[in-house]
Amino acid sequence: MDIQDPKFWRAGAVSSTVVMLVVLAFLTIDSLEATRAGGRQVPNYDVINQKIGYAYDWSRRLDVPVIGGAEPLFDKPYTLAEATAQIRLGKLVIQSRACMDCHTFFGNGAYYAPDLSKAWLDPAWSQIWMPMTGAKTRADAMVLFLKHPERYPTWTRRMPNLSLNDEEARAVVAYLKWMSSVDTNGFPENFGLIRGRE
Amino acid sequence: MTPMALFATATALGLFVLSGGAYGVLYGAGSLRSSRLLTRAGYACYGLQLLLLLAVCLAAPLAGLWKVFLIVSGITYGFIPPATWRLLHALHHRSEAEP
Amino acid sequence: MYRSQRLAVRYFTAAIALFGIMTAAGLLTAAYYLQPSLLYNVFDFQMAKILHINTLVIWLLMGFIGAVYWFLPKELEHEVVGIRLAEILFYVFCAAVAVVAVVFILVQYGSSNQFSMWFINQGRKYVEAPRWAALGIVVVVLTFVFNVVATAVRARRMTGILWVLMLDLVPLSVLYLDAFPQITNMSHDLYWWWWLVHMWVEATWEVLIGCLMAWSLMELLGTSRRIVEAWLYIEVMLVLGTGILGLGHHYFWIGTPQYWLSIGGFFSALEPLPLLGMVVHAIYDAGTHRMQTTNRPAFCWVLAEAFGNFIGAGVFGFMMTLPQINLYSHGTQWTVSHGHFAFWGAYGCGIIAIVYLVLQRTRDARFFDSRAWKWSFGLLNFGLVGMVGGLLIAGIAQAVYERAQGGSTLQAFVVATESPWFQSGMYVRLAFGVVFALGYVVLVYDLLTIGKRAPVAATQVVSA
Repeated sequence: MDIQDPKFWRAGAVSSTVVMLVVLAFLTIDSLEATRAGGRQVPNYDVINQKIGYAYDWSRRLDVPVIGGAEPLFDKPYTLAEATAQIRLGKLVIQSRACMDCHTFFGNGAYYAPDLSKAWLDPAWSQIWMPMTGAKTRADAMVLFLKHPERYPTWTRRMPNLSLNDEEARAVVAYLKWMSSVDTNGFPENFGLIRGRE
Repeated sequence: MTPMALFATATALGLFVLSGGAYGVLYGAGSLRSSRLLTRAGYACYGLQLLLLLAVCLAAPLAGLWKVFLIVSGITYGFIPPATWRLLHALHHRSEAEP
Repeated sequence: MYRSQRLAVRYFTAAIALFGIMTAAGLLTAAYYLQPSLLYNVFDFQMAKILHINTLVIWLLMGFIGAVYWFLPKELEHEVVGIRLAEILFYVFCAAVAVVAVVFILVQYGSSNQFSMWFINQGRKYVEAPRWAALGIVVVVLTFVFNVVATAVRARRMTGILWVLMLDLVPLSVLYLDAFPQITNMSHDLYWWWWLVHMWVEATWEVLIGCLMAWSLMELLGTSRRIVEAWLYIEVMLVLGTGILGLGHHYFWIGTPQYWLSIGGFFSALEPLPLLGMVVHAIYDAGTHRMQTTNRPAFCWVLAEAFGNFIGAGVFGFMMTLPQINLYSHGTQWTVSHGHFAFWGAYGCGIIAIVYLVLQRTRDARFFDSRAWKWSFGLLNFGLVGMVGGLLIAGIAQAVYERAQGGSTLQAFVVATESPWFQSGMYVRLAFGVVFALGYVVLVYDLLTIGKRAPVAATQVVSA
């Protein structure tokens, strides 16, 4: 073992890289399975028909999504195929409008606007935007806001109008509802549990 | 974790690595100039690194295994500057000796 | 000078120009934080940010490509094979970048259809460029890889550094395929996206800059090939040994299994160790040559690279990498502070060092010095450190007020942003951003003028 010989270190470089890549490959297979829609961490897209909450799990010592009973989105239950189509459109809207360049999704993106991982659960919808828009439901308030954010500002920093039509806005709302059901190992902590006015 | 614990732990961890870096720089400079003062300053920085490690182990809200890991990595930091120096020295001398 | 080296100079020129656009766009993004109504619904934050981060990626990539085109023919003592095609593609590359930028500025975004993905904006961070441009980048990179491999084959030579580079270019190119898919499932999307981003900036790019620094040290200090090769292998072993599973520090919160908190945290926390080795190596090199070099700016930028990499990526990264901390720092300006420091230290400084090295050769200046490089070195680094400091203050305020105390709702986001600490941090960031921009202007002046004055006596050598 001649540590002054570059070949020794070359062998070290090759072996450490190969070992790590093999471990990564195994972990990737498991992670992709866990995170597919319907996997153990990520509910399938028809979860948008159900009530989604967020509560502390003492066994895991972190906050986890709680999937509850029926709570149709926009008053209509979606079949799995319909929900999948909505979610697919929602993601395409999010990408085409580059939402990730102001907002974060699971904390990834840009930091000029709030994180949207649990936006569906944000108290601001019922406390601020439902009264402001006159909408009867949270989902309707979200649609009205997304279509015309310039009409419903709550702050000096305003969201621009990104020309969303009704169908696109609904798809984004569906996407945000689905996203809030993903088990993100407790991120963000205490979301919506620090309550202001109910 | 309380906000103060968050701030204190993160700062301690950053300073932990920074003092490791200072140890590396001063150890190297001391070896270059054969200066005991500089080398001792380097060891002092390593001492600071270990103190920060102790503070984290005693006060930071981290689980036991994480603290064990930090202790092991703290010990490893101690070996890196002298080991790197010796290796570089050996590589250079071997290179000069050979045509 | 080989034709490929002339091409290298063109790449560096484009890279430095894009660096300037990146800086201007960065100043604009900083301004929005302090003047939120700025250009509202005309040119919003997200478009300025897109320009800022895309020019970041492209200027560094152009710097890497230019550097390889410079060193490759010298390494193999053979003109680069396929150089004509590479020369044409350089202009195609520049034109494509310009078109993408114009579309970003004038059109900005499209409707929710594949046309938008192909021609306007894909909306995934760092890879927003539409698919047609991504295809163009693939063509440029594949041609570049062909240039490297074909030249080695034609020259019938291989060196250790070149082996490492060629092997590194394979994953570097393949990973870029993640710039194309449009994945519905956000967890899957982010899983693969991090393969591209992390395995570029914390793996393949690290190896690439390692190869370039190896060549640079041979030129700058006359270090023997055996030493730089051994060191390169050590670097690869440690950087990839920690960085491949260090990828897991991006898998804490995206819906992936909980074991990533342990695995990612553990390997990520080991990532500063090779960087400490690089700092010690930099001291060794500086000292054994008693700071004597005929190219002080290049040498100083190489030192800045070692230290900047260690502090920006190592210290700042370690501060926020444990999952217990990251739960609060995630998605805040804390990340931004680390990101700016790490990119600058790990790559920006290195590219600038190589540009100075190249200029000494192209201007045939035996002794290469000026006053302006010292000013630009000071302004750029001081500006960068100041920016990072401001962002760190703002980021910690966000971590405390928004995440730890506020529960990350919209209200918590507003409270954190309105806090005096956050606001002060943003003012500090912009002020130092202006300092950095001034440094850039001086850098450009220096790059245009250094070494062009009357030659100094060949025997003059500078000591520390």
